[in-house]
Amino acid sequence: MKPLFTLKDVSLYYGESQVLKNISLTIDKGKVTSIIGPSGAGKSTILRTLNRMNDRIPGFQLSGEVFFDDENLYNNGTKVHLLRQNVGMVFQKPCIFPKSIYDNVLFGVRHLYSRRKHEFSQIVEETLKAVSLWDEVKDKLNQSALELSQGQQQRLSIARALAVEPRVLLMDEPTSSLDPTSTCAIEELVGRLSGNLTIVIVTHKLDQAKKIADDVVFICEGKLIEHGRSENIFSNPSQQQTKDYLKWHLCKC
Amino acid sequence: MRRDLKEVIFFSACIITTVTAISLLFIILSAILVRGLPAINLEFLTTESKEFGQNGGILYQTMGTFILIGMAGILAFPIALGSAVYQTEYLSLSLRGTADLLVYALNAVPTIIFGLFGYMFFGVFLKLGVSWLTGSFILAIMVLPTVLVSIKEAIESIPFKYLEAGLALGLTQERLVRAVIIPQSIHGMVTGLLLGLARAAGETAAIMFTATTFSGVLLPASFREPVTSLQTHILILAQEAINPRALTNAWGAALVLVALIMLMSLGSMLIRATITHEAER
Ligand SMILES: Nc1ncnc2c1ncn2[C@@H]1O[C@H](COP(=O)(O)OP(=O)(O)OP(=O)(O)O)[C@@H](O)[C@H]1O
Ligand SMILES: [Mg+2]
Repeated sequence: MKPLFTLKDVSLYYGESQVLKNISLTIDKGKVTSIIGPSGAGKSTILRTLNRMNDRIPGFQLSGEVFFDDENLYNNGTKVHLLRQNVGMVFQKPCIFPKSIYDNVLFGVRHLYSRRKHEFSQIVEETLKAVSLWDEVKDKLNQSALELSQGQQQRLSIARALAVEPRVLLMDEPTSSLDPTSTCAIEELVGRLSGNLTIVIVTHKLDQAKKIADDVVFICEGKLIEHGRSENIFSNPSQQQTKDYLKWHLCKC
Repeated sequence: MRRDLKEVIFFSACIITTVTAISLLFIILSAILVRGLPAINLEFLTTESKEFGQNGGILYQTMGTFILIGMAGILAFPIALGSAVYQTEYLSLSLRGTADLLVYALNAVPTIIFGLFGYMFFGVFLKLGVSWLTGSFILAIMVLPTVLVSIKEAIESIPFKYLEAGLALGLTQERLVRAVIIPQSIHGMVTGLLLGLARAAGETAAIMFTATTFSGVLLPASFREPVTSLQTHILILAQEAINPRALTNAWGAALVLVALIMLMSLGSMLIRATITHEAER
Protein backbone atom coordinates (compact mmCIF):
# COMPACT_ATOMS: atom_id res chain seq x y z
CA MET A 1 0.00 0.00 0.00
CA LYS A 2 1.13 3.48 -0.79
CA PRO A 3 2.15 5.50 2.28
CA LEU A 4 0.15 8.59 3.22
CA PHE A 5 3.10 10.76 4.17
CA THR A 6 6.56 10.46 2.67
CA LEU A 7 9.46 12.51 4.00
CA LYS A 8 12.51 12.56 1.76
CA ASP A 9 15.77 13.76 3.28
CA VAL A 10 14.12 16.45 5.37
CA SER A 11 16.31 18.89 7.25
CA LEU A 12 14.81 21.69 9.26
CA TYR A 13 16.44 24.79 10.69
CA TYR A 14 15.33 27.50 13.07
CA GLY A 15 17.79 30.22 12.18
CA GLU A 16 21.27 28.79 12.68
CA SER A 17 20.29 25.70 14.64
CA GLN A 18 19.45 22.51 12.80
CA VAL A 19 16.55 20.73 14.46
CA LEU A 20 15.88 17.88 12.01
CA LYS A 21 18.73 16.11 10.23
CA ASN A 22 18.16 14.33 6.93
CA ILE A 23 15.03 12.50 7.92
CA SER A 24 13.49 10.03 5.49
CA LEU A 25 10.33 8.37 6.66
CA THR A 26 6.97 7.02 5.49
CA ILE A 27 3.74 7.00 7.44
CA ASP A 28 1.06 4.49 6.55
CA LYS A 29 -2.61 5.15 5.98
CA GLY A 30 -5.07 4.08 8.68
CA LYS A 31 -2.36 3.20 11.19
CA VAL A 32 -1.34 4.64 14.51
CA THR A 33 2.24 5.84 14.29
CA SER A 34 3.93 6.86 17.48
CA ILE A 35 6.93 9.17 17.57
CA ILE A 36 9.13 8.61 20.61
CA GLY A 37 12.40 10.09 21.75
CA PRO A 38 13.96 12.17 24.50
CA SER A 39 13.00 15.74 25.25
CA GLY A 40 14.24 18.18 22.63
CA ALA A 41 14.77 15.42 20.06
CA GLY A 42 12.50 17.12 17.54
CA LYS A 43 9.34 15.02 17.96
CA SER A 44 6.98 17.98 17.95
CA THR A 45 8.91 19.51 15.10
CA ILE A 46 8.48 16.45 12.87
CA LEU A 47 4.81 16.28 13.71
CA ARG A 48 4.32 19.92 12.87
CA THR A 49 6.03 19.63 9.50
CA LEU A 50 3.12 17.39 8.49
CA ASN A 51 0.59 20.21 8.69
CA ARG A 52 3.03 23.06 8.21
CA MET A 53 2.56 24.48 11.67
CA ASN A 54 6.23 25.43 11.85
CA ASP A 55 5.89 27.98 9.09
CA ARG A 56 5.27 30.90 11.42
CA ILE A 57 8.30 30.29 13.63
CA PRO A 58 10.97 32.95 12.97
CA GLY A 59 13.97 31.63 11.05
CA PHE A 60 12.14 28.52 9.85
CA GLN A 61 13.76 26.84 6.86
CA LEU A 62 13.22 23.38 5.41
CA SER A 63 15.08 21.38 2.81
CA GLY A 64 14.06 18.05 1.35
CA GLU A 65 10.53 17.03 0.43
CA VAL A 66 7.38 16.17 2.33
CA PHE A 67 4.60 14.44 0.40
CA PHE A 68 1.00 14.04 1.52
CA ASP A 69 -0.37 11.51 -0.96
CA ASP A 70 1.15 12.95 -4.11
CA GLU A 71 1.17 16.55 -3.03
CA ASN A 72 4.50 18.15 -2.25
CA LEU A 73 3.56 20.11 0.88
CA TYR A 74 6.35 22.64 0.75
CA ASN A 75 5.68 23.65 -2.83
CA ASN A 76 4.58 27.20 -3.33
CA GLY A 77 1.20 26.11 -4.66
CA THR A 78 0.07 24.29 -1.50
CA LYS A 79 -3.02 25.73 0.12
CA VAL A 80 -2.02 25.48 3.74
CA HIS A 81 -5.52 25.91 5.17
CA LEU A 82 -6.84 23.08 2.98
CA LEU A 83 -3.96 20.89 4.12
CA ARG A 84 -4.83 21.59 7.74
CA GLN A 85 -8.47 20.72 7.16
CA ASN A 86 -7.25 17.29 6.08
CA VAL A 87 -4.57 17.02 8.72
CA GLY A 88 -6.02 17.96 12.10
CA MET A 89 -3.99 18.55 15.22
CA VAL A 90 -4.39 18.20 18.98
CA PHE A 91 -1.93 19.93 21.28
CA GLN A 92 -0.31 19.01 24.54
CA LYS A 93 -2.43 21.37 26.60
CA PRO A 94 -6.10 21.48 25.65
CA CYS A 95 -6.78 24.84 24.03
CA ILE A 96 -10.39 25.72 24.65
CA PHE A 97 -12.00 28.94 23.50
CA PRO A 98 -13.96 30.92 26.09
CA LYS A 99 -17.24 29.82 24.55
CA SER A 100 -19.87 27.16 25.13
CA ILE A 101 -19.15 23.45 24.68
CA TYR A 102 -21.39 23.47 21.62
CA ASP A 103 -19.55 26.39 20.02
CA ASN A 104 -16.18 24.86 20.76
CA VAL A 105 -17.02 21.68 18.89
CA LEU A 106 -18.21 23.72 15.95
CA PHE A 107 -15.35 26.18 16.02
CA GLY A 108 -13.70 24.94 12.85
CA VAL A 109 -16.82 23.61 11.15
CA ARG A 110 -18.67 26.85 11.47
CA HIS A 111 -16.08 28.68 9.44
CA LEU A 112 -15.46 25.95 6.93
CA TYR A 113 -18.93 24.65 6.17
CA SER A 114 -21.17 27.53 7.15
CA ARG A 115 -23.76 26.39 4.63
CA ARG A 116 -24.38 23.13 6.48
CA LYS A 117 -26.05 24.84 9.43
CA HIS A 118 -28.85 22.31 9.69
CA GLU A 119 -26.31 19.56 10.35
CA PHE A 120 -24.59 21.37 13.19
CA SER A 121 -26.36 19.77 16.15
CA GLN A 122 -25.90 16.35 14.56
CA ILE A 123 -22.17 17.00 14.09
CA VAL A 124 -21.87 18.03 17.73
CA GLU A 125 -23.61 14.89 18.92
CA GLU A 126 -21.64 12.54 16.68
CA THR A 127 -18.21 13.94 17.45
CA LEU A 128 -18.87 14.18 21.19
CA LYS A 129 -19.99 10.56 21.11
CA ALA A 130 -16.85 9.63 19.20
CA VAL A 131 -14.71 11.02 22.01
CA SER A 132 -16.99 9.52 24.72
CA LEU A 133 -17.90 12.92 26.06
CA TRP A 134 -21.55 13.01 25.02
CA ASP A 135 -23.02 11.44 28.13
CA GLU A 136 -21.06 13.73 30.39
CA VAL A 137 -21.99 16.99 28.67
CA LYS A 138 -25.21 16.45 26.76
CA ASP A 139 -27.25 18.39 29.33
CA LYS A 140 -24.94 21.37 29.44
CA LEU A 141 -23.91 21.98 25.86
CA ASN A 142 -24.54 25.69 26.23
CA GLN A 143 -22.41 26.11 29.31
CA SER A 144 -18.89 27.47 29.11
CA ALA A 145 -16.37 24.84 28.10
CA LEU A 146 -13.85 26.37 30.50
CA GLU A 147 -15.72 24.69 33.36
CA LEU A 148 -14.83 21.21 32.10
CA SER A 149 -11.97 19.25 33.63
CA GLN A 150 -8.62 19.07 31.81
CA GLY A 151 -9.36 15.57 30.58
CA GLN A 152 -12.77 16.59 29.30
CA GLN A 153 -11.27 19.67 27.68
CA GLN A 154 -8.72 17.54 25.87
CA ARG A 155 -11.44 15.22 24.58
CA LEU A 156 -13.36 18.31 23.53
CA SER A 157 -10.31 19.51 21.56
CA ILE A 158 -10.24 16.14 19.82
CA ALA A 159 -13.95 16.40 19.05
CA ARG A 160 -13.36 19.87 17.61
CA ALA A 161 -10.60 18.53 15.38
CA LEU A 162 -12.72 15.53 14.29
CA ALA A 163 -15.70 17.72 13.45
CA VAL A 164 -13.77 19.11 10.50
CA GLU A 165 -13.54 15.53 9.20
CA PRO A 166 -9.78 15.29 8.74
CA ARG A 167 -8.08 12.27 7.19
CA VAL A 168 -5.19 12.50 9.62
CA LEU A 169 -5.03 13.44 13.27
CA LEU A 170 -1.72 14.64 14.69
CA MET A 171 -1.46 14.48 18.47
CA ASP A 172 1.40 16.06 20.39
CA GLU A 173 1.67 14.42 23.82
CA PRO A 174 -2.10 14.68 24.22
CA THR A 175 -2.16 12.99 27.62
CA SER A 176 0.89 14.48 29.29
CA SER A 177 -1.14 16.96 31.33
CA LEU A 178 -3.95 14.54 32.19
CA ASP A 179 -4.87 12.20 35.04
CA PRO A 180 -4.69 8.41 34.49
CA THR A 181 -8.42 7.96 33.85
CA SER A 182 -8.54 10.62 31.15
CA THR A 183 -5.32 9.22 29.72
CA CYS A 184 -6.90 5.78 29.39
CA ALA A 185 -10.00 7.30 27.81
CA ILE A 186 -7.87 8.98 25.17
CA GLU A 187 -5.73 5.89 24.53
CA GLU A 188 -8.88 3.86 24.03
CA LEU A 189 -10.19 6.57 21.75
CA VAL A 190 -7.08 6.47 19.59
CA GLY A 191 -7.49 2.73 19.10
CA ARG A 192 -11.12 3.16 18.13
CA LEU A 193 -10.53 6.01 15.67
CA SER A 194 -7.65 4.44 13.78
CA GLY A 195 -8.51 2.61 10.62
CA ASN A 196 -10.66 5.32 9.11
CA LEU A 197 -8.29 7.90 10.44
CA THR A 198 -4.52 7.95 10.27
CA ILE A 199 -3.08 8.95 13.62
CA VAL A 200 0.40 10.22 14.37
CA ILE A 201 0.99 10.63 18.07
CA VAL A 202 4.02 12.02 19.88
CA THR A 203 4.55 10.57 23.31
CA HIS A 204 7.34 10.26 25.79
CA LYS A 205 5.56 7.44 27.63
CA LEU A 206 6.89 4.19 26.22
CA ASP A 207 4.09 2.08 27.69
CA GLN A 208 1.62 4.29 25.91
CA ALA A 209 3.38 3.82 22.59
CA LYS A 210 3.49 0.08 23.22
CA LYS A 211 -0.21 0.01 23.98
CA ILE A 212 -1.58 2.02 21.06
CA ALA A 213 0.94 2.20 18.24
CA ASP A 214 1.12 0.05 15.12
CA ASP A 215 4.36 1.69 14.04
CA VAL A 216 7.00 3.42 16.10
CA VAL A 217 9.46 6.11 15.04
CA PHE A 218 12.39 6.71 17.35
CA ILE A 219 14.24 9.95 16.94
CA CYS A 220 17.08 11.48 18.87
CA GLU A 221 18.78 14.84 18.45
CA GLY A 222 16.98 15.45 15.20
CA LYS A 223 18.05 12.16 13.66
CA LEU A 224 15.84 9.22 12.85
CA ILE A 225 17.35 6.23 14.63
CA GLU A 226 14.83 3.52 13.99
CA HIS A 227 11.40 3.07 12.44
CA GLY A 228 9.35 -0.10 12.34
CA ARG A 229 6.49 -2.20 13.60
CA SER A 230 5.77 -1.54 17.25
CA GLU A 231 6.24 -5.16 18.34
CA ASN A 232 9.60 -5.37 16.60
CA ILE A 233 10.91 -2.16 18.06
CA PHE A 234 9.88 -2.98 21.59
CA SER A 235 10.90 -6.63 21.60
CA ASN A 236 13.84 -6.64 19.28
CA PRO A 237 15.25 -3.25 18.35
CA SER A 238 17.99 -3.31 15.76
CA GLN A 239 19.92 -0.24 16.89
CA GLN A 240 21.99 -0.02 20.03
CA GLN A 241 20.71 3.52 20.73
CA THR A 242 17.13 2.27 20.67
CA LYS A 243 18.00 -0.50 23.10
CA ASP A 244 19.60 2.02 25.45
CA TYR A 245 16.66 4.37 25.21
CA LEU A 246 14.11 1.65 25.89
CA LYS A 247 16.08 0.45 28.86
CA TRP A 248 17.44 3.63 30.41
CA HIS A 249 15.24 6.32 28.89
CA LEU A 250 18.44 8.05 27.83
CA CYS A 251 20.35 8.05 24.62
CA LYS A 252 23.74 9.06 23.33
CA CYS A 253 23.37 9.93 19.70
CA MET B 1 27.46 51.45 53.24
CA ARG B 2 27.61 53.55 50.08
CA ARG B 3 25.22 51.17 48.50
CA ASP B 4 22.76 51.68 51.31
CA LEU B 5 23.05 55.42 50.91
CA LYS B 6 22.40 55.20 47.19
CA GLU B 7 19.36 53.14 47.83
CA VAL B 8 18.00 55.57 50.40
CA ILE B 9 18.49 58.47 47.99
CA PHE B 10 16.84 56.59 45.16
CA PHE B 11 13.96 55.56 47.36
CA SER B 12 13.38 59.10 48.66
CA ALA B 13 13.51 60.48 45.14
CA CYS B 14 10.79 58.04 44.09
CA ILE B 15 8.63 59.01 47.05
CA ILE B 16 9.08 62.74 46.51
CA THR B 17 8.24 62.63 42.84
CA THR B 18 5.24 60.41 43.43
CA VAL B 19 3.92 62.65 46.17
CA THR B 20 4.45 65.72 43.98
CA ALA B 21 2.54 64.19 41.10
CA ILE B 22 -0.32 62.99 43.24
CA SER B 23 -0.67 66.23 45.18
CA LEU B 24 -0.66 68.28 41.97
CA LEU B 25 -3.48 66.15 40.66
CA PHE B 26 -5.24 66.43 43.99
CA ILE B 27 -4.93 70.23 44.07
CA ILE B 28 -6.26 70.63 40.56
CA LEU B 29 -9.15 68.27 41.12
CA SER B 30 -10.15 69.81 44.42
CA ALA B 31 -9.93 73.32 42.95
CA ILE B 32 -12.29 72.28 40.18
CA LEU B 33 -14.53 70.50 42.66
CA VAL B 34 -14.73 73.41 45.10
CA ARG B 35 -15.43 75.99 42.44
CA GLY B 36 -17.52 73.89 40.15
CA LEU B 37 -19.77 72.15 42.60
CA PRO B 38 -21.88 75.24 43.45
CA ALA B 39 -22.87 75.43 39.77
CA ILE B 40 -23.97 71.84 39.47
CA ASN B 41 -27.62 70.99 39.75
CA LEU B 42 -30.14 69.21 37.62
CA GLU B 43 -31.15 72.38 35.83
CA PHE B 44 -27.52 73.16 34.96
CA LEU B 45 -27.08 69.74 33.39
CA THR B 46 -30.35 69.68 31.49
CA THR B 47 -31.00 73.13 30.11
CA GLU B 48 -29.42 75.23 27.41
CA SER B 49 -27.18 78.13 28.24
CA LYS B 50 -28.61 81.62 28.28
CA GLU B 51 -27.12 85.12 28.17
CA PHE B 52 -23.74 83.91 27.00
CA GLY B 53 -23.35 81.39 29.73
CA GLN B 54 -24.29 83.64 32.62
CA ASN B 55 -27.47 81.74 33.12
CA GLY B 56 -28.93 78.41 32.16
CA GLY B 57 -27.00 75.20 31.76
CA ILE B 58 -24.67 73.25 29.54
CA LEU B 59 -26.93 70.64 27.96
CA TYR B 60 -25.95 71.36 24.36
CA GLN B 61 -22.30 71.84 25.24
CA THR B 62 -22.26 68.36 26.74
CA MET B 63 -24.09 66.93 23.77
CA GLY B 64 -21.71 68.70 21.40
CA THR B 65 -18.73 67.12 23.11
CA PHE B 66 -20.41 63.73 22.86
CA ILE B 67 -21.23 64.24 19.17
CA LEU B 68 -17.66 65.26 18.37
CA ILE B 69 -15.96 62.41 20.15
CA GLY B 70 -18.64 59.85 19.28
CA MET B 71 -18.22 60.49 15.58
CA ALA B 72 -14.43 60.62 15.99
CA GLY B 73 -14.62 57.15 17.54
CA ILE B 74 -16.82 55.83 14.75
CA LEU B 75 -14.36 57.17 12.17
CA ALA B 76 -11.14 56.17 13.91
CA PHE B 77 -12.01 52.69 15.16
CA PRO B 78 -12.37 50.81 11.86
CA ILE B 79 -9.23 52.42 10.45
CA ALA B 80 -7.26 51.63 13.59
CA LEU B 81 -8.58 48.07 13.66
CA GLY B 82 -7.81 47.45 10.01
CA SER B 83 -4.30 48.77 10.19
CA ALA B 84 -3.57 47.03 13.51
CA VAL B 85 -4.62 43.71 11.98
CA TYR B 86 -2.55 44.43 8.90
CA GLN B 87 0.51 45.35 10.94
CA THR B 88 0.33 42.35 13.24
CA GLU B 89 -0.83 39.64 10.84
CA TYR B 90 0.24 40.53 7.33
CA LEU B 91 3.08 43.04 7.30
CA SER B 92 6.49 41.43 6.92
CA LEU B 93 8.54 41.33 10.11
CA SER B 94 11.22 43.58 8.70
CA LEU B 95 8.79 46.44 8.06
CA ARG B 96 7.02 46.35 11.41
CA GLY B 97 9.60 48.55 13.12
CA THR B 98 9.15 51.22 10.48
CA ALA B 99 5.39 51.06 10.85
CA ASP B 100 5.70 51.50 14.61
CA LEU B 101 7.95 54.48 14.10
CA LEU B 102 5.42 56.15 11.80
CA VAL B 103 2.63 55.62 14.29
CA TYR B 104 4.68 57.12 17.11
CA ALA B 105 5.62 60.03 14.87
CA LEU B 106 1.95 60.65 14.19
CA ASN B 107 1.29 60.57 17.90
CA ALA B 108 3.92 63.24 18.50
CA VAL B 109 2.39 65.81 16.13
CA PRO B 110 1.06 68.81 18.11
CA THR B 111 -2.71 68.85 18.02
CA ILE B 112 -2.87 72.35 16.61
CA ILE B 113 -1.20 71.00 13.45
CA PHE B 114 -3.95 68.41 13.13
CA GLY B 115 -6.44 71.25 13.52
CA LEU B 116 -4.77 73.32 10.85
CA PHE B 117 -4.33 70.47 8.40
CA GLY B 118 -7.78 69.09 9.13
CA TYR B 119 -9.44 72.39 8.55
CA MET B 120 -7.59 72.94 5.30
CA PHE B 121 -8.42 69.49 4.02
CA PHE B 122 -11.89 68.75 5.35
CA GLY B 123 -13.15 72.28 5.97
CA VAL B 124 -11.81 74.08 2.92
CA PHE B 125 -10.89 71.46 0.32
CA LEU B 126 -13.85 69.15 0.97
CA LYS B 127 -16.00 72.20 1.74
CA LEU B 128 -17.31 70.96 5.07
CA GLY B 129 -16.57 74.38 6.58
CA VAL B 130 -16.57 75.01 10.29
CA SER B 131 -18.65 72.02 11.25
CA TRP B 132 -18.86 69.21 13.73
CA LEU B 133 -17.92 66.74 11.02
CA THR B 134 -14.68 68.61 10.32
CA GLY B 135 -14.01 68.51 14.06
CA SER B 136 -14.73 64.80 14.26
CA PHE B 137 -12.37 64.09 11.37
CA ILE B 138 -9.64 66.09 13.09
CA LEU B 139 -10.20 64.33 16.41
CA ALA B 140 -10.31 60.98 14.65
CA ILE B 141 -6.87 61.53 13.12
CA MET B 142 -5.64 62.76 16.47
CA VAL B 143 -6.71 59.70 18.44
CA LEU B 144 -5.82 57.24 15.68
CA PRO B 145 -2.31 56.48 17.01
CA THR B 146 -3.54 55.92 20.56
CA VAL B 147 -6.33 53.61 19.46
CA LEU B 148 -4.11 51.85 16.92
CA VAL B 149 -1.36 51.13 19.44
CA SER B 150 -3.86 49.85 22.01
CA ILE B 151 -5.50 47.52 19.50
CA LYS B 152 -2.11 46.28 18.36
CA GLU B 153 -1.12 45.53 21.93
CA ALA B 154 -4.40 43.74 22.48
CA ILE B 155 -3.81 41.57 19.42
CA GLU B 156 -0.22 40.86 20.34
CA SER B 157 -1.23 39.75 23.82
CA ILE B 158 -3.55 37.00 22.54
CA PRO B 159 -2.01 33.73 23.73
CA PHE B 160 -0.29 32.05 20.79
CA LYS B 161 -2.11 28.79 21.52
CA TYR B 162 -5.41 30.33 20.39
CA LEU B 163 -3.92 31.29 17.04
CA GLU B 164 -2.41 27.83 16.64
CA ALA B 165 -5.66 26.13 17.58
CA GLY B 166 -7.48 28.19 14.96
CA LEU B 167 -4.88 27.62 12.27
CA ALA B 168 -4.73 23.88 13.02
CA LEU B 169 -8.44 23.65 12.25
CA GLY B 170 -7.77 24.94 8.76
CA LEU B 171 -8.93 28.51 9.13
CA THR B 172 -7.63 30.91 6.51
CA GLN B 173 -5.84 34.01 7.70
CA GLU B 174 -8.96 36.06 7.09
CA ARG B 175 -11.13 33.60 9.04
CA LEU B 176 -8.56 33.57 11.80
CA VAL B 177 -8.89 37.33 12.12
CA ARG B 178 -12.66 37.12 12.35
CA ALA B 179 -12.96 34.03 14.51
CA VAL B 180 -10.01 34.34 16.85
CA ILE B 181 -8.12 37.60 16.71
CA ILE B 182 -10.99 40.07 16.96
CA PRO B 183 -13.08 38.17 19.54
CA GLN B 184 -10.05 37.43 21.71
CA SER B 185 -8.87 41.02 21.81
CA ILE B 186 -12.16 42.88 21.87
CA HIS B 187 -11.72 44.01 25.49
CA GLY B 188 -8.37 45.53 24.70
CA MET B 189 -9.82 47.23 21.68
CA VAL B 190 -12.62 48.86 23.65
CA THR B 191 -10.11 49.94 26.28
CA GLY B 192 -7.99 51.58 23.62
CA LEU B 193 -10.95 53.30 22.07
CA LEU B 194 -12.09 54.71 25.41
CA LEU B 195 -8.59 55.96 26.20
CA GLY B 196 -8.38 57.63 22.81
CA LEU B 197 -11.76 59.24 23.19
CA ALA B 198 -10.94 60.45 26.69
CA ARG B 199 -8.02 62.22 25.12
CA ALA B 200 -10.21 63.67 22.39
CA ALA B 201 -12.74 64.90 24.92
CA GLY B 202 -10.10 67.09 26.49
CA GLU B 203 -8.84 68.49 23.22
CA THR B 204 -9.60 72.16 22.67
CA ALA B 205 -7.12 73.85 20.36
CA ALA B 206 -7.73 71.74 17.29
CA ILE B 207 -11.50 72.03 17.30
CA MET B 208 -11.98 75.48 18.77
CA PHE B 209 -12.27 77.36 15.49
CA THR B 210 -12.84 74.44 13.14
CA ALA B 211 -15.85 72.73 14.61
CA THR B 212 -17.38 74.73 17.41
CA THR B 213 -18.89 78.09 18.14
CA PHE B 214 -19.54 79.64 21.47
CA SER B 215 -23.23 80.32 21.36
CA GLY B 216 -26.30 80.37 19.23
CA VAL B 217 -26.37 76.70 18.23
CA LEU B 218 -28.30 73.79 19.64
CA LEU B 219 -28.09 70.43 17.92
CA PRO B 220 -26.69 70.36 14.38
CA ALA B 221 -29.27 69.75 11.68
CA SER B 222 -26.72 68.79 9.03
CA PHE B 223 -23.09 67.74 8.57
CA ARG B 224 -22.12 71.28 7.76
CA GLU B 225 -23.10 72.92 11.03
CA PRO B 226 -20.87 73.57 13.99
CA VAL B 227 -21.73 72.49 17.50
CA THR B 228 -20.89 74.02 20.79
CA SER B 229 -18.78 72.01 23.20
CA LEU B 230 -17.78 71.94 26.85
CA GLN B 231 -14.18 72.76 26.00
CA THR B 232 -15.13 75.85 23.97
CA HIS B 233 -17.59 76.93 26.60
CA ILE B 234 -15.03 76.76 29.38
CA LEU B 235 -12.38 78.61 27.44
CA ILE B 236 -14.60 81.46 26.33
CA LEU B 237 -16.28 81.92 29.67
CA ALA B 238 -12.96 81.88 31.49
CA GLN B 239 -11.47 84.42 29.11
CA GLU B 240 -14.28 86.88 28.84
CA ALA B 241 -16.46 86.58 31.87
CA ILE B 242 -16.57 89.45 34.28
CA ASN B 243 -19.75 88.24 35.82
CA PRO B 244 -18.96 85.87 38.73
CA ARG B 245 -21.95 83.65 37.85
CA ALA B 246 -20.51 83.01 34.43
CA LEU B 247 -17.21 82.09 36.00
CA THR B 248 -18.89 79.65 38.36
CA ASN B 249 -20.61 78.13 35.35
CA ALA B 250 -17.26 77.74 33.63
CA TRP B 251 -15.98 75.79 36.63
CA GLY B 252 -19.17 73.74 36.59
CA ALA B 253 -18.61 72.88 32.95
CA ALA B 254 -15.00 72.01 33.73
CA LEU B 255 -16.15 69.68 36.48
CA VAL B 256 -18.54 67.93 34.11
CA LEU B 257 -15.81 67.56 31.49
CA VAL B 258 -13.30 66.18 33.98
CA ALA B 259 -15.89 63.76 35.34
CA LEU B 260 -16.63 62.61 31.80
CA ILE B 261 -12.97 61.98 31.02
CA MET B 262 -12.38 60.23 34.30
CA LEU B 263 -15.37 58.01 33.74
CA MET B 264 -14.01 56.96 30.36
CA SER B 265 -10.56 56.27 31.78
CA LEU B 266 -12.09 54.38 34.67
CA GLY B 267 -14.21 52.36 32.27
CA SER B 268 -11.16 51.43 30.25
CA MET B 269 -9.31 50.44 33.42
CA LEU B 270 -12.18 48.26 34.56
CA ILE B 271 -12.35 46.51 31.20
CA ARG B 272 -8.60 46.00 31.28
CA ALA B 273 -8.88 44.49 34.76
CA THR B 274 -11.41 41.94 33.54
CA ILE B 275 -9.08 40.79 30.75
CA THR B 276 -6.11 40.13 33.00
CA HIS B 277 -8.50 38.25 35.21
CA GLU B 278 -9.54 36.05 32.31
CA ALA B 279 -5.99 35.49 31.11
CA GLU B 280 -4.94 34.19 34.52
CA ARG B 281 -7.46 31.39 34.50
N1 LIG C 1 10.08 28.05 18.24
C1 LIG C 1 11.33 27.57 18.28
N2 LIG C 1 12.37 28.37 17.99
C2 LIG C 1 13.63 27.91 18.06
N3 LIG C 1 13.95 26.65 18.38
C3 LIG C 1 12.95 25.81 18.66
C4 LIG C 1 11.59 26.22 18.63
N4 LIG C 1 10.81 25.16 18.96
C5 LIG C 1 11.66 24.16 19.19
N5 LIG C 1 12.94 24.52 19.01
C6 LIG C 1 14.13 23.68 19.17
O1 LIG C 1 13.98 22.54 18.36
C7 LIG C 1 14.43 21.40 19.04
C8 LIG C 1 13.37 20.32 18.98
O2 LIG C 1 12.23 20.77 19.65
P1 LIG C 1 10.89 19.92 19.73
O3 LIG C 1 9.89 20.77 20.39
O4 LIG C 1 10.57 19.39 18.40
O5 LIG C 1 11.35 18.73 20.70
P2 LIG C 1 10.46 17.58 21.31
O6 LIG C 1 11.10 16.32 20.91
O7 LIG C 1 9.04 17.77 20.96
O8 LIG C 1 10.70 17.80 22.85
P3 LIG C 1 9.67 17.65 24.08
O9 LIG C 1 9.58 16.20 24.41
O10 LIG C 1 10.33 18.43 25.18
O11 LIG C 1 8.37 18.23 23.64
C9 LIG C 1 14.79 21.82 20.43
O12 LIG C 1 16.18 21.86 20.54
C10 LIG C 1 14.21 23.17 20.59
O13 LIG C 1 15.07 23.96 21.36
MG1 LIG D 1 7.30 18.34 22.06
